[in-house]
Formats: sequence, C-alpha cells, structure tokens
Amino acid sequence: MCSFFIWAQPLYIYTPSDTHRRKLPKRRNDVYVNMKTDFRAQLARCQKLLEGGGHREICVHGLGLAINRAINIALQLQASSQGALQLAANTSTVELVDDLEPEDPDEAGEPMTRTRNNSAIHIKVFYPDPQ
Amino acid sequence: MFTGCGVVTGQNQYLTRDAVRPHPGLEVNTPIQMENVVAPGTCAIYQGHTYSNAMQPAVVDVPDPLKPAPLAVPPPALKLGQDGFKKVCRTEEDSPCPFPGLASGVLEMRVKEGSKIRNLMGFAMARMQGEKCESGRDVSGGGLRQVVFSGSGRAVTKTITCAEIMKRKVGSLHQLTKLRYKVVKEVWESTEGSSSEMTVHRTVPSISILLSKDPLDPQEPGYQPPETLSALWEEKEGVESASQTACKRPLGPSPYSSFTHCKRVCLGEGVSVLPPH
Repeated sequence: MCSFFIWAQPLYIYTPSDTHRRKLPKRRNDVYVNMKTDFRAQLARCQKLLEGGGHREICVHGLGLAINRAINIALQLQASSQGALQLAANTSTVELVDDLEPEDPDEAGEPMTRTRNNSAIHIKVFYPDPQ
Repeated sequence: MFTGCGVVTGQNQYLTRDAVRPHPGLEVNTPIQMENVVAPGTCAIYQGHTYSNAMQPAVVDVPDPLKPAPLAVPPPALKLGQDGFKKVCRTEEDSPCPFPGLASGVLEMRVKEGSKIRNLMGFAMARMQGEKCESGRDVSGGGLRQVVFSGSGRAVTKTITCAEIMKRKVGSLHQLTKLRYKVVKEVWESTEGSSSEMTVHRTVPSISILLSKDPLDPQEPGYQPPETLSALWEEKEGVESASQTACKRPLGPSPYSSFTHCKRVCLGEGVSVLPPH
C-alpha cells in the first residue's frame, strides 16, 4: 500500500493547504537551526545577536536532526564566552503532517495525510542576572 | 517488549547511579573541537594521516574556535572508514553527574545510537510504574521516583524522544535538562598490512534529562514543569479541532523572558494529544 504514495511535502510544518498552515512566531532573539545553512554562519548569527544586538538572551531552536546542531551551537557559544553565558534547555514534541499523493496520477487513490511526531529542543542562552 | 530471551543485551546499558566507572587518567584538552554533523565532503581540512603513533592525543589546542583558519578537527568516522581503518574500541570518559543533589539509586538509562526505543521504554516504564520485583530486592514501593536519560553524539535525538515518550505515558513529570560536552576516545586500527593505530579524541555534545515525579527546583536552568492538560484545552479553543498540528510555541503572548516560573511556556510545546471529540 505504501508503494503507491510518495511524499508530496515532506517535513514541512506549513504546507500549501490552509488547514495545516502554521506560522512560526519569531521574536528578534529566536534562532531556528537547520541542516542546510552552514554551521559557522548560524553560529556567527547567534554570536552577533548576543554581542551586537544587545540581547541578554537568545533562544536556539532545533527540530529532529537539527537538535544536535542546536546543542553544538549553544555549547560553542558558552565556550567562547568564557563561562559568562548559561544554558537552559527545554524539550518538546512537535507534530508534523506529511501530505501523500498517489505516485501514478491514474491510480485511484486520494491524497491522504500522515502525522508523525518529532522531538524538538529549545535552548535559552543567556547572561545570568547578577545577584 | 523485550526480545525472546529474558536478558536484554546489545547496545542498551542500564546502570544504577551506584555504579562508578574509574576515570582513565587521560589528559584532556579543553573541549574546543566539535564534531559537527557535516557532510564528509565539506570537511576538507583533514588530509591523510596526520596522526602517527598510537596513544598520541590527536587534537590540537586552538585558541579561538571561531577563527576560519583550518583546525585540526578529528577526522569524521566516514573518512577513517574509507582510509582502511576499523574502529577497535570506543570509550566514553565518565564525567560527574550534572544534577546536583541527585539521590543515589536513581535509574540511569544510557541511550546509545543503536538502542531500540522499544526496549528502552519497556524497561524504564516497568521501573517507573512499579512492577513487582523478585523478593529480596530492595525496591521502593510503587516504582522509582526519578529516572535519568543520557546520551551523546548521535544518540541525543533518541534520548530526547525517550524522555518525551515517558512524559506522555507517565504524566506530570518534572524535567531537568542539562547539556555539556563529552570526550570520547576512539581507537582505530588499520585493516591493511601496516599495523598503525590511531587514537582520536572527539568531543561530542551530550544531553542528560532527569524526569522526576517529585517536584524539582524551578530556579534551576533547564527546568521544565509538567504540562497540565486542563489549561491546555483552554489554549486550544481557538484552534480548529480538525487540524492536529501541534503548537510549537504557546499561542498567547510568549513570555520567554523567564522560563522558570512561567507555566504557560510549556503548554504549547509538546502538544500531541488529540482534542476531545
């Protein structure tokens, strides 16, 4: 049964159909890590937000395979700050919706969707309040 | 949930906190090198065998990790595999438990890359939900109160998944997450005639997740309160029940300024339950 169907829209949280559309709310100090952009570029972006942007904290998010990269970025930021930064990590489960369509247009099948779960991590990188 | 035999073997390791492994007296450089999840093609820095005799720490101390100058990054495993090397052994350096004041005797689940989630969860759930143990074993009635999932390198995602599954099955668990680097020492041996040996020190990111039935300190960085379903339904009112998409973020104003005492933060996250029909 599975051989009929292909992934029409793999791994996207927002898909063309409006029922599934979700916009990721994004503040200035949110950084979403992915596997496509160069690691160093994402690291430099986080660095710039912390130092130049004047944010006392940033939040690094990673989904699925990008969890490792997000953790790496957060740990690198902490290492290069000589211990001034602290990390706070939260985990969550995110539901992903795949749209499946029959591979062969002549096949009598209707597009169906499949939901699956994926893990996500949200790491807050912050300068602790002086107490 | 276990395989046919009654003993779980293979990649899964279940140790109680009482088991202490001796520290190999290795000299460890500061964890500046990182093992990125990069495609082998992009890591063109390492050329040939720059590490000769065995037992030589194969990392070079680099002052500024962000400098674009070529670093002596430990070779990705793929490259070593192609060069005719075979991994002989891999030992993790034991670092102290990151959770302050953790009671001994808490269950520690070490998640490895090849671990089967089914096996891990079967064991952990049985312990947490209080199976009847054989007489003579000193187990607190009603199962364990706390469990720690730890994993490093490629097992990090699986570790988080295990923790999330447990949180969903055993409700109202307090969570504490800690991130740090772990140094892993690998010994690679050449499969060709030349018996050269390489020792590679790799620093990999590692995660430890403490799940506890007892309340934990909310001021601790990395603390996550248990999700409360009742408040969750109030949030979900605005969302159409047809779509099952989970909110990655809370729907209301996101009070990210302080994670610790704000319970609303976690409501949007981790939602993968069906709204009542």
